[in-house]
Amino acid sequence: MFVLHHSSLYSLGTEINFKARSFGKGAELTQCLFVLIGKNLILLALNFTERFSAKTHRDGANAYEKEMGGAFMTTTGIQVKDVSMAYTGKNGEPISALKNINLDIKEEEFISLLGPSGCGKTTLLRLIADLLQPTTGTVSILGKSPRETRLARKFGIVFQSPVLYDWRSVRRNICMPMEIMGIPRKTRTSRINEVLDLVGLRNFGTKYPFELSGGMQQRVGIARALALKPEILLMDEPFSALDEFTREKLNEDLLKIWSQTKKTIIFVTHNIPESVFLSDRVVVLSPHPGRVSAVVDIDLPRPRSASLREEPVFYEYVAKIRKSFEGV
Amino acid sequence: MKSKRKNWTDYTLPIAFGVMIILLWQCKVFHALLGLQTYQLPLPTDIVSALSQNFGKTLSDCIVTISGAMIGLVIGSCIGFIFAVIATWFPKWGYGSIILISAINAIPLVALSPIMNLWFKTGMGQRIGVVTIVCMAAMTFNSYSGLSSIKPFSLDLMQMTAANKWTVFTKLRIPNSLPYIFTALKINIATSIMAAIISEYFATSTSGLGFGIKDNLRKAEMAMGWGYIVVASIVGVILYCVIVLIEHQAIKWHPSQR
Repeated sequence: MFVLHHSSLYSLGTEINFKARSFGKGAELTQCLFVLIGKNLILLALNFTERFSAKTHRDGANAYEKEMGGAFMTTTGIQVKDVSMAYTGKNGEPISALKNINLDIKEEEFISLLGPSGCGKTTLLRLIADLLQPTTGTVSILGKSPRETRLARKFGIVFQSPVLYDWRSVRRNICMPMEIMGIPRKTRTSRINEVLDLVGLRNFGTKYPFELSGGMQQRVGIARALALKPEILLMDEPFSALDEFTREKLNEDLLKIWSQTKKTIIFVTHNIPESVFLSDRVVVLSPHPGRVSAVVDIDLPRPRSASLREEPVFYEYVAKIRKSFEGV
Repeated sequence: MKSKRKNWTDYTLPIAFGVMIILLWQCKVFHALLGLQTYQLPLPTDIVSALSQNFGKTLSDCIVTISGAMIGLVIGSCIGFIFAVIATWFPKWGYGSIILISAINAIPLVALSPIMNLWFKTGMGQRIGVVTIVCMAAMTFNSYSGLSSIKPFSLDLMQMTAANKWTVFTKLRIPNSLPYIFTALKINIATSIMAAIISEYFATSTSGLGFGIKDNLRKAEMAMGWGYIVVASIVGVILYCVIVLIEHQAIKWHPSQR
């Protein structure tokens, strides 16, 4: 596949510039014009090829996948391969949000994406969720593309804010995605009861969102995601808006829920102790451009309880991860 | 949640204030202040007695005007809402409908009424036509805000369940726009009555509140003219209260209703 890189286009630009110079001092005007036209042409070409190459690349990958019948692709877990994501900035220049991300996530793994703001951790999550498409590279989920997985409704997602529907009671909020998916009423009712028990809101089913505290609202958001019985649970800084006490309580609750349901959880956070407490593995991302700077295995026994936060080995992990940010 | 405790003073004080204003009016305090005669500002007792003498005529005029206003309100609000839906459903070109509505909104009532006179043969048709056009704008602007200003991430959430455009509309956008629709209806209640009355000034019909006001003021029947004005105001307040009651039942979840 032929992909024009920025660097090659850039050298092409200097070449044109150079050739224009060689016309001699008498042709300064021509040179200026030439450079001007050349620059614009390059910008245009860059823009076009970038779109084109990204498209062909993706199509190519999909075709490859189909051709091979998935024979060489792993059908377990989530693979992120050479994924890069670039936005077009205000002046038309490409801004690299993620660069060459490679990641293997096992099934039933609790993995955290950790990093400072602007490191692209949310972008990476949205790429996996098919809410964004990568500029280059592929993501495969149980051998399928993110789009297929999304359309097959295998994701559950929890956002930074609870995103509840104000006009629906807690029960009907949890019900909404299941209604859309066409799950029969009986199943819906039993699942709502189940997840309300899981998140400890059994007596709040008939309340409306405005009657709940921030922590309770976030629990409803989690319950709604769990009710779908998703194969993959994506959590985008779900507890970042909550106070420290509520956050720690919900961390413990989340682990309990996870041990009961055993989903693959991808958890985005900027809180180091939180990531250590929850995860099997912590993927440390660093910004400008977003890239994986370290992957830390958390070998702490499960089930984990609140007392773990007091143990020296916990601090060691926190310190180790904090250290990996140094020199970035 | 903070519960609102109703005190008896919550009701009595505003009523006492209103009664006091009417008493001051009756005692000619406003006449003294503004240098008016009773034929310029009739006394409340005169207005009431004039109204009770012509009760049957006033009631039938009232029914004519209000029914026209309400039909126009419903049609206009529906059309306005459809325009808002178009603007939301087709974001690329749909905003043109908003611009079209703002252009229509700029047509003055005094121009609209004679035009509608030409379009419709009957007084009722003309009345409904005017009210319809006047009621469109508030509904379009408000419900467009309601349909488009949805919470961050809620569209993403819909996408994750592979919801189609129709589902997003019925389950997310329309419920979200309900408070805005009620705001528009509250604006439109007063607007529709006003538009219906003004339209009657230019109409060929000889019934309706607007005709009553015009006719009585022309005949120097000031108390009766004022009687019609009072009736129009009272009906406006009653209909407004009806909408507020419906709103309170329909959108209990909204911050404005707590």
